[in-house]
Amino acid sequence: MKKAQFKSRNILITLLIMTLSFFLSVGLQYAGIEEHIATLFVFAVFLVSLNTEGYWYGIFSAIAGTLMVNYAFTFPYFSLNFTIGANLLSAVIMIALALMTSTLISQNKRQQLIKAESEKERMRANLLRAVSHDLRTPLTSIYGSSSVLIENSETMSTEQKEKMLKGIKEDSQWLIQMVENLLSITRIDEGKVKIIKTPTVVDELIDSVMTKFSKRYPEQDVDIILPETIELVPMDALLIEQVILNLLENAMHHARNMTQLSLHVTALKKQAMFEVMDNGCGIEINKMNDLFTGIFEPKDGQADTKKRNSGIGLSVCATIIKAHGGTISAENRLSGGAVFRFVLDKEEEEDGQQK
Amino acid sequence: MGSRNKILIVEDDENIASVVQTLLETNGYQVFQARKCKEALMMTTSYVPDLVVLDLGLPDADGITYLKEIRHHFSLPVIVLSARSNEHDKVEALDAGANDYVTKPFGAAEFLARVRSALRNAKGHVPGKKFELNGLSIDFDSRKIYVRETQIHLTQTEYNIVVLLAQNIGKVMTYSQIIKEVWGYPDDGSIKKLQVNMANIRRKFGEKPGKGSYIINELGVGYRMNDELTDIS
Repeated sequence: MKKAQFKSRNILITLLIMTLSFFLSVGLQYAGIEEHIATLFVFAVFLVSLNTEGYWYGIFSAIAGTLMVNYAFTFPYFSLNFTIGANLLSAVIMIALALMTSTLISQNKRQQLIKAESEKERMRANLLRAVSHDLRTPLTSIYGSSSVLIENSETMSTEQKEKMLKGIKEDSQWLIQMVENLLSITRIDEGKVKIIKTPTVVDELIDSVMTKFSKRYPEQDVDIILPETIELVPMDALLIEQVILNLLENAMHHARNMTQLSLHVTALKKQAMFEVMDNGCGIEINKMNDLFTGIFEPKDGQADTKKRNSGIGLSVCATIIKAHGGTISAENRLSGGAVFRFVLDKEEEEDGQQK
Repeated sequence: MGSRNKILIVEDDENIASVVQTLLETNGYQVFQARKCKEALMMTTSYVPDLVVLDLGLPDADGITYLKEIRHHFSLPVIVLSARSNEHDKVEALDAGANDYVTKPFGAAEFLARVRSALRNAKGHVPGKKFELNGLSIDFDSRKIYVRETQIHLTQTEYNIVVLLAQNIGKVMTYSQIIKEVWGYPDDGSIKKLQVNMANIRRKFGEKPGKGSYIINELGVGYRMNDELTDIS
């Protein structure tokens, strides 16, 4: 269907330009400055080639232009005459011009496509590299600990064993979150179509998020403020849940010296605003720009530090919110700490009357 | 513990099956294992377990097939244990007759709570005049509901929803199951209607997000009345 659309558009452009130049030429001829008519058609052919896809429209207009110039606007009038060398030359020049312009244009377009594709490829490679790196660390620790436990179980003290087992548990929990994030991304990529939104009650969403969060961090209190009214927001609830979890988790990992973590949902006129706030160390200014891109090229020497989850969670958030047609942002609070904020459209009040 | 409850694990992955078996055995259950759907069907008829833990991805058939098959003859509780986390898969399994749905990976404590809950649920709801659960009480005759001695004023619909969940305590009720029971017929807006009703119920109960409550919300799937308050917070 799209192809047919392009085709009719191309034909329309070609016809429009050619007719326009024909009438202009008639005007020029009346005015008696007919020596510029050929130039006018050369320009017309160039315009057609520039604005259409493929070679054929350009070539067609070159031939049509040559014929028109030859037939109507050059001596002898109203007859085709290719014996005069000048006429033949102008025909050849016009066709050549059409071919060259079209070639240049299509080459340019192809290059742009390749560039965009390689950009996407680069992003994917970056993400994969970051993920693999992030997976390797906990896997190494799980593998190591379990091997040690199997091989030296007799010589180890109960505390030692417990410590190792705890490490295994923590690392696998971390892996689980990682996989959840990756799954979220595939959920978006899957059909390449827009995500399926269902109206979700904010209360239920937050309840579900908090149940999961307090399972992971039972000792962390979260100060929650929800809108007074019952708000329905269309969303893929599992994905938005992942976003809020990632934001909370991000605060747990990165907001040093945090004493208070809050989650506020505010009902705006047509939107719902979700905010995750902490009073920790805030976001470093130089990281601000790359926060949601997921491109934290691991700097040398920093690669093996304990700080994992280098922004993949946030880039997943950005991807999900973008797919919902919402906006996400982060800033430092004046009172200290950071706030991550995203906004989603609320449901339109249209079906009140339908029932 | 008296006679030990028999549990059948239908799971093709040996490691997971062995983890679940150990977990259950150390908690006093008697455990059998089946690797395939066919084997599971045979073992279900010969051992008549008290509970089945079912993986959905089996080598010879989908777990749903097994579920539908046994539902012809048995009402025993089935807990689905699956790596599929889509709402759609959950709803399909629950509507096919599963009692509960636990997603892999799962925690030991949570899994055991679900097992206990499903077993208790299977004993059946005794149709009495009163329902009692950790401070929540429902008086069926006067249609009154109390939370910690305070009467909660619910609308007719809200009351019906709470009673339905109470009668199926421990079992996940999908949206469509609840709608069918409460409104009788489904329509376009009914899930939304249900969600709004539920939000009102939870507010009236004074429940705080994520703090464990009488009604557990399975986002995009349904609701479950929780009979293990102590396990949540």
